[in-house]
Amino acid sequence: MAQEDVSLSRLVITLTVIGVVSALILSVVYQWTTPYIEEHQAEAKEEAIFSVLEGAVEYEEVTKNGITFFEGYNESGNLVGVSYIAKGSGYQGTIEIMVGADPSNGEIMYISVLNHEETPGLGARITEEQFKNNFVNKPFGEYELVNREPSDPYEVETIAGATISTRSVKNIVSEAGLTIEENYGGGN
Amino acid sequence: MNLLKILTNGLWKENPIIKLVIGLCPTLAVTNTVENGLAMGLATSFVLISSEIVISLIKKWIPNNVRIPSFILIIASFVTFTDYFLKAFFPGIAESLSLFIPLIVVNCLILGRQEAFASKNPTHRAIFDAIGMGLGFTWVLVLLSTVRELLGMGTFFGLEILGAAYQPMIIMILPGGAFITLGVIVGIMNVINRKVESQNG
Amino acid sequence: MDSVQYILLLFISTVLINNFVLIRFLGICPFLGVSRYVDTAFSMGLATTFVMTLTAFATYFINSYILVALDLPFLRYVSFIIVIASLVQFVEMFIKKASPVLYKALGIYLPLITTNCAIMGMALLIPLNEYNFIESIVFGFGAGVGFTLAIVLIAGLREELEFSDVPDALRGVPITLILAGIMAMAFMGFAGLVSI
Repeated sequence: MAQEDVSLSRLVITLTVIGVVSALILSVVYQWTTPYIEEHQAEAKEEAIFSVLEGAVEYEEVTKNGITFFEGYNESGNLVGVSYIAKGSGYQGTIEIMVGADPSNGEIMYISVLNHEETPGLGARITEEQFKNNFVNKPFGEYELVNREPSDPYEVETIAGATISTRSVKNIVSEAGLTIEENYGGGN
Repeated sequence: MNLLKILTNGLWKENPIIKLVIGLCPTLAVTNTVENGLAMGLATSFVLISSEIVISLIKKWIPNNVRIPSFILIIASFVTFTDYFLKAFFPGIAESLSLFIPLIVVNCLILGRQEAFASKNPTHRAIFDAIGMGLGFTWVLVLLSTVRELLGMGTFFGLEILGAAYQPMIIMILPGGAFITLGVIVGIMNVINRKVESQNG
Repeated sequence: MDSVQYILLLFISTVLINNFVLIRFLGICPFLGVSRYVDTAFSMGLATTFVMTLTAFATYFINSYILVALDLPFLRYVSFIIVIASLVQFVEMFIKKASPVLYKALGIYLPLITTNCAIMGMALLIPLNEYNFIESIVFGFGAGVGFTLAIVLIAGLREELEFSDVPDALRGVPITLILAGIMAMAFMGFAGLVSI
């Protein structure tokens, strides 16, 4: 290593040089990678939106009351449904769900769990088809959790051993439906 | 020591996780699947190798009393590069490893090797040290994640191994299982080590 | 839910439910390294909590007013680690003057607080979770308290362990890891305690 008895200016210069060179290189790396990163993010968002709005081939971002909605349109340019990212607290953290609904008949179309920290094998099963199907064609309103097959459109079947996670999802989706109704009307 | 010995040093004798007991945070956190463990090992190795190369090249110009901040700046830059690179070209891995890529900056292994080796050795030897340590770190990660993924999900690298009838031990992919598995592995390594040492006399 | 309630729940969540050491896997190295005796562990915890709270404060401002405002997100890791290293340096000098005994007791582990991944992890989680100023400080403080709790608990267990007959191969790091695993399982019981 270089000698012990160096001036203060030498110390400052060394750190500054390293700092400036790093910053410049990183700036280049940032410019180079940002387009790819944004492309991935856009693709992921699009996939989430289209997965909950069946038939949609393009979407438009609209902000109402501080919420960003994604209006989905099919090839003929007709509104298929509206979705947005609803959040709520789960068993072990925040759960983010993309909820898609059709305001013309006041029903939820489908949901997609985007982010969660629930327990693998238990709460994490909220991402399974069987659970998500609870919300297909579900009317807007308050839902109830039951541990048998639902006999009523407002009932949601819980996952064994994951009551808290399923309750959280039920509440999030229920509120999401009502939010969409508030902003886009409820059809019935 | 000759170059080969420098390399194998990191694999066993001074294995960062088993012997030196450093770099444990990623070891426990991202070994829930083999894919994650391997990716983390490779990412860390990349940062280690690049930092050791750069620092062994410019060591003459770094005054002694700013060496630690200098090392940290260089390491942090390579980590930033790795982070953006993964996010751009391997978004799935980037999302699985998330917080632990930037945490490579504070992995004591990397800073430790600069201090112990790169700042005192010529570049060609530093490269071998970095490769050895990186491989040593990676193989332990892969071992731990193999156990965790196999017992915790019945798969290896996403491939179903133990069949549908296997009831997975969920605890293995949770924090508790990580700690216990690593503890058992280190214990077993200690036993092996003791046997090897007593045989060598 | 009003903000005071939210802050309180955030604190409890950070200390217990998402404990930095036992659930988030952050701060493992000092957790294993400084936990042989309860008093050293507690001092380490205090010093770390102090650094963490200051770090939350400093990195919040750097992130909001420099990194985001000037569109320089790629300097985040570099700037954060510089802040942490500098803060640890100051805390070191402060402790050396204020309590030379404590300084000697902590020894090499004091500068090693810089490489405690819990601090960097906490600093990075603040922009990730989009906490505001008050939330950031509470989060940083809570992270430190959670860390202190974990390290003191394991130190207490290890002190007891001195009188137990631990098999040779498991002595030291392995048995501590196994103990930590059981503790982690216990802490999982806090999940679902509060919803925020």
